[in-house]
Amino acid sequence: MSLLRLCQQAVRQQTAARAACVATRNHATDSNIPQTTEQKQDAAITEAPQRDVVAADIVSGAPKELRHRVVRIFQPTRSTTQSGSGKSNRWRIDWDILPGAGRWENPLMGWASSADYMQGTRLSFRTKEDAIHFAEKQGWDYYVAATEIKRIPPKNYAENFLYKPDKLRLIRTK
Amino acid sequence: MLRLVSSASKPSSAGVLAKVVVAPSSSRSSRRTFSSTTAKKADITLTVDGKEVTVPQGSALIQACEAAGATIPRFCYHDRLAIAGNCREGVMEFLLANHPLDCPICDQGGECDLQDQSMRYGADRTRFHEISGKRAVEDKDLGPLVKTSMNRCIQCTRCVRFANEVAGVEELGTTGRGNDMQIGTYVAKTMNSELSGNVVDLCPVGALTSKPYAFHARPWELKHTDSVDVLDAVGSNIRVDSRGLVVMRVQPRPNDDVNEEWISDKTRYAYDGLRFQRLTVPLVKQGDRFVTVSWEDALASVADGLVRSGAKGDEIKAIAGHLADTESLVALKDLLNRLGSDNTALDHVGGHAAPVHAVDVRSNYLFNSTIPGVEQADVILLVGTNPRHEAAVLNSRIRKSWLHTTLEVGLIGERVDTTYGYDYLGADAKALADFVAGKGEFAKKFKEAKRPLIIVGSSLVEHPDGAAIFNALAKFTEANKEKLITPEWNGFSVLQRAASRAAAYDIGFVPSKKASSTKPKFVYLLNADEVNPKDIPEDAFVVYQGHHGDLGAQLADVVLPGAAYTEKGMTWVNTEGRAQLGRAAVPPPGASREDWKIIRALSEIVGTPLPYDDILSLRDRMWEISPTLLRYDSLEPTSVDVALTGLKALAAGTANAKVTGEPIKKPIDNFYQTDPISRASVTMAQCTRAFVKGEDYGFSELSNASEAAFA
Ligand code: SF4
Ligand code: FES
Repeated sequence: MSLLRLCQQAVRQQTAARAACVATRNHATDSNIPQTTEQKQDAAITEAPQRDVVAADIVSGAPKELRHRVVRIFQPTRSTTQSGSGKSNRWRIDWDILPGAGRWENPLMGWASSADYMQGTRLSFRTKEDAIHFAEKQGWDYYVAATEIKRIPPKNYAENFLYKPDKLRLIRTK
Repeated sequence: MLRLVSSASKPSSAGVLAKVVVAPSSSRSSRRTFSSTTAKKADITLTVDGKEVTVPQGSALIQACEAAGATIPRFCYHDRLAIAGNCREGVMEFLLANHPLDCPICDQGGECDLQDQSMRYGADRTRFHEISGKRAVEDKDLGPLVKTSMNRCIQCTRCVRFANEVAGVEELGTTGRGNDMQIGTYVAKTMNSELSGNVVDLCPVGALTSKPYAFHARPWELKHTDSVDVLDAVGSNIRVDSRGLVVMRVQPRPNDDVNEEWISDKTRYAYDGLRFQRLTVPLVKQGDRFVTVSWEDALASVADGLVRSGAKGDEIKAIAGHLADTESLVALKDLLNRLGSDNTALDHVGGHAAPVHAVDVRSNYLFNSTIPGVEQADVILLVGTNPRHEAAVLNSRIRKSWLHTTLEVGLIGERVDTTYGYDYLGADAKALADFVAGKGEFAKKFKEAKRPLIIVGSSLVEHPDGAAIFNALAKFTEANKEKLITPEWNGFSVLQRAASRAAAYDIGFVPSKKASSTKPKFVYLLNADEVNPKDIPEDAFVVYQGHHGDLGAQLADVVLPGAAYTEKGMTWVNTEGRAQLGRAAVPPPGASREDWKIIRALSEIVGTPLPYDDILSLRDRMWEISPTLLRYDSLEPTSVDVALTGLKALAAGTANAKVTGEPIKKPIDNFYQTDPISRASVTMAQCTRAFVKGEDYGFSELSNASEAAFA
């Protein structure tokens, strides 16, 4: 615990600097409003309060380059090939692919090779807040994708036999 | 907990089911005209597995259980189809006994409801002891998209219900009874629908699978990337499934605000076009052939061409096509403006000038009623559009509403098969004039409607009478504003058909009046493959930037290879004005690059560097132009006053338009080939042969062989 606190103190300066940077650079935050530097001068817009997050990436040993990449926080949608909605409750973090030379076809076997060590990684969380918290802790820029919009009207069997006064429109071949 | 309803950003409250949205009230009341009791929309609270849930009256028990988090195994029930109750009827259980044990060679393996349910609830050894062997059913030929293996069919009839209710294909149905029941088309027809690919998803087993994807990959090998479709302007939500460097298939992503759960066959199957005809290296024309060069040389020769052509100001012209993403449109417009030109044009017929509806007010060119809003309309007038081909999933909504309510549809334009009935009013501006004057049955119905809707086709801006038609519609809408334009309802909707169009209008990618009459000396084609080659002067220096070697690249002096929509994470604005963020699934092939980066690099070389170095600062620039471009997944409705001002301006701007009386033609003749990607696709070519030309070229030998061959 004390080690953690020590680290926390040591990096507080850095965190503050980065938090500011995150604030200006999130290109799609939760509210989908990018905060440009111009807006920051506007007194009418209050800045999001800076939260005290432990900068875990200092001790995690993760490569620095990760901080230059934006992560996506999202909830996977249900697969349309199946009825079950398994796995669509959790929240995920994954990385955009590296453009350019992040992947290539290996000349020996024709398989895909990759220079992107995050291409196979995805993290699951129980809630969106957990995922956001984790990304902030790691110092990653993130954007949150909107969740699935679902509106299923109530259905019942009797609707098949409803009488309609006007011309027949639905021809059933079942 | 499973939710029936969730809103974009709010996580639904735990425990209690958020209220299930009921079908629009107009539909309910009309459905119930003959019922003796009045329809009460009470909520019912019940306890499932010790958990209390509240569902609206009339919900099925399976819905209530699902809301309570208890998923009931099912085969025939589907959220978006009518209830059939097939699997509890008993027949299906016997059919299941006959289901072949061919999971290792079945494409559904790994994403099969039957596989999962038998793993979970089934016995571990067979109880099948029929000496006569298993039931066998002949395979059917449904065309080049849907592969059948009818032994596996469990008669859930989801495919039939989909064909009846959503796609409007009445040929697909069941024949026979009991154990002899079969699914097929009547008689031996292919399934001709733009939505036929969806039955592959619906089929809970492997009876209907995807023909182009057959035996190519297993679901667990695929990497899923959520993205947005760009092959029409609906902006269907898709999931791009890739393996390694290749897009293996495209699946729909449910979103009830846009595409429900369906996508069109072009969206689903044109992906193989991403592998063919690609531009992978920069090319420079020398004599009559293209020579491969490095990026530096290519960009230098563009800069050189700009100088040599002597183009100044408006003589520098940019033309943007259907598949240009918003970021690159913004970058290109900024670059042109910095070079002193206002000549930013689009690649449709007459795209060299600003469209008749102008682009000052958003509601003049957007689908204002919104896509889900279509279901609230009680009378729809289609003007110069065939939604079935221009926005197939939107068309299914109109059909849904037409089936379940008393919706009336009228059509002005070329006669087409829309999958729902309509009153045909005529083919030209005169028919519209009659309608406006209140002549005819349909005009009366329209007057009486509570929520009338006019859907205006995007092809009208290309039509010689377009201005006159827009003028008449604007005046009509204004005159009937108490119904057509209210705070809750905007019944004047323009249906775009190109993915980039709404964004192009939003950022003002249209030429000024002076610029549009200037003869260009330097032409920059950004994904512009629908241009008329005659519109480009012989002596102009032409640059093409895009991902396919299609029409535009042929015209070019320098070709710069860009990325296709599955290879870049860009913003797309759909016909409603809904901005959505796509996502890169695979890297662009060869030396091709993301489009905005190419333009950014070029700006450096021509000596007017653009002030953004990364995508985030480019998006800041987009935010300056219009915040709506970055408000992802949400809509910004136009207020009544602004919409009316827009219509006034539209009416004033087109006031002295003459009517030539030329009939309106449908803009899309061949649904399957509308853009460079689908034109490069083998599957789409097969569809063209099978469905558009009606050739039976024997894509399945099985169907031709005699039955004895398999005995
Ligand atoms: S083919 Fe598939 S969807 Fe159609 S009835 Fe058979 S199992 Fe159901
Ligand atoms: S799912 Fe209920 S009867 Fe088929």
